[in-house]
Amino acid sequence: MPDLSPLCALGARTPRRVTHGALTLTETPECGLASLALRRGTPPPALDLPGPGRWQAADGLTLIWTGPGQWLVELPGAAETDVAATLAGKVPGASITEQTDGWVLFEITSSAGAAPIEHFLERAANIDLARFAPGSATRSPIEHLGTYVLRRAEDRLGIWGMRSAAESLWHALDGIAARMVGRG
Amino acid sequence: MLIPHPLLGLRDAQEFTYLGDARLIDRPTGGNEAELAEYVYLRDNPAGVHRELWFHEQGDRSWLVVTRNTLTHEILGAELARDVSLARKGDMA
Repeated sequence: MPDLSPLCALGARTPRRVTHGALTLTETPECGLASLALRRGTPPPALDLPGPGRWQAADGLTLIWTGPGQWLVELPGAAETDVAATLAGKVPGASITEQTDGWVLFEITSSAGAAPIEHFLERAANIDLARFAPGSATRSPIEHLGTYVLRRAEDRLGIWGMRSAAESLWHALDGIAARMVGRG
Repeated sequence: MLIPHPLLGLRDAQEFTYLGDARLIDRPTGGNEAELAEYVYLRDNPAGVHRELWFHEQGDRSWLVVTRNTLTHEILGAELARDVSLARKGDMA
């Protein structure tokens, strides 16, 4: 067997992390991701599924509404496991596709409450902040890249983007955070 | 321009792509060639209120039927195309 070294989406052995003022951006490679779609006739799952524009944590998973009858499911810490099989055990009869390797997750945390996060979002995406309280999640373009943006808490965001554009998305997010404190 | 998405609220028109006349939902199935030619090629082009299909491509990827005034660009309403289509089938049945 060849001796392969796993690399993060940004190309290094360890995830990238940077702090600009109150905001810290962290590449988060350990979170698994799968898509879930209910077919016509799928028995109603035991999981509590969030409605439009929402995310919800349940049973160690985070479910993100992506469209009518469709969700993305985060499996924190499970990126190196068979996430589709894990999810299939919880939602029998649904259409489930492993997504982990197609996506990259960046977490953005604030050490000064909600204000820097909202300031950041105003610059990054066309999202109505009045409708984006914790518990909200939406798909929105950031610098022309399609992303899913989750308001995990007042002072915390999760942003899923395309892994093939990880460096471009990082450049966009890092630039916004840097300019907020007058750097870059 | 903002589009009142029935599930997600007001969303920027930038997130959508435009297809055209909402009559495209009524694809003829009878095998009548003249009817199909009319469906493919002929459209009304009203100056005023128009029902049209918009795709929320950068959002939840749902098709909407948006009612828009083509003279003022005022958006008068938006429904899920799926609901419109199912309601019509219900009417026919």
